[in-house]
Amino acid sequence: MRFIVDIFIAIAIAAALGIGSAWYVIDRGAVFGTVTVGAWTAWPASGQPDADPYAVAWLARTGEVPLGAGEGIAFTATADSSGRPLTAACDYTVRGQTPAARLWTLAAYAFGDAGGAPAPDRSSINSRILVRQPDGSFAIALSPEVQPGNWVPLQAGRNFRLVLRLYDTPVTTGSRLTDMVLPEIVRGACR
Amino acid sequence: MRRLLAFTLGGVLLAGIVHIVVVFLVPYFARNDAWAVVRGFAADGKFQLLPASNLPGTALPGLDPEMIEAVCPFSLGEKPLRVRAALPDDFWSIAVFDRRGRNVYSLNDRAAEGSDLDLIVLTPVQMAKLRTDPPASLDTAIVVVLDLGEGFVLLRVFVPGPAHVPAIVSALKAADCAAEL
Repeated sequence: MRFIVDIFIAIAIAAALGIGSAWYVIDRGAVFGTVTVGAWTAWPASGQPDADPYAVAWLARTGEVPLGAGEGIAFTATADSSGRPLTAACDYTVRGQTPAARLWTLAAYAFGDAGGAPAPDRSSINSRILVRQPDGSFAIALSPEVQPGNWVPLQAGRNFRLVLRLYDTPVTTGSRLTDMVLPEIVRGACR
Repeated sequence: MRRLLAFTLGGVLLAGIVHIVVVFLVPYFARNDAWAVVRGFAADGKFQLLPASNLPGTALPGLDPEMIEAVCPFSLGEKPLRVRAALPDDFWSIAVFDRRGRNVYSLNDRAAEGSDLDLIVLTPVQMAKLRTDPPASLDTAIVVVLDLGEGFVLLRVFVPGPAHVPAIVSALKAADCAAEL
């Protein structure tokens, strides 16, 4: 009898710990091979032919179609440069420089609909229509309200994530990723 | 007490195995992976534009709003894949995804040296067979040898402005992913 109870305890621990940890890691995504620069995190390994089992499990769960090395690289931010979560209750400025790329885009995705948010829930800007300073730097305002200059509208009251995609860039793999300079995300006024 | 400790330790070790098994099994039980979504609205051998309205379950998540995308599922079981498209003279890229959603091959318009895309994807066996009597297209097209069963190709075309949308849409609708070698 005691033996059965002990076996039961062992199996319960194995199931809870094993499934729980697997769930946590896959749900979180971006386990091995991530590159973090300031507030931005890229996961080039997710778009490579030899993606690790965690990446493959994450791809299967989310249905994402990551950029490959021949296309470009995507950086995601869920917090500002001070580490506070991004929320449309505040205004933000994304400013600075981006690494060399033929084209880049910045898109805001509101959280809520994991299976693909409705079209108005995402908004974006690209490097072609961007207004720049004489020195090549730029500032993009993120706000639910209309802003002068470069403006990416936000969905009022929703948390969001930012994705900066660099297309056709020489820096898609390796150590060169870590020493690149990405724009900072500065929080402004909150409502 | 010692006994319980031993069984707890055993449980933890077993948890490691369960963890690994779960991670490897997840792809086989996922019902909303990219492949399933693509197969849900696109037929083999034909490019399908991704819906502009991203209602859950009808489109792939996390796509770039600055791009228009089209997908084409394929199977290398019967014949090699040949993709031909006359695309705009601006940034576009094509990626080959396998059944598990891995991005196994990708290139952009600069690498393709022009706006006309001509890409052939074949298996090592098909390549070996073609070597004896290579068709002319093998010299002109971009040839990629991949050990794949089924998968899908994804074309992403940059939209410089609203005025470019009709041209991009018609270019993607005219794109062919069932061309003969």
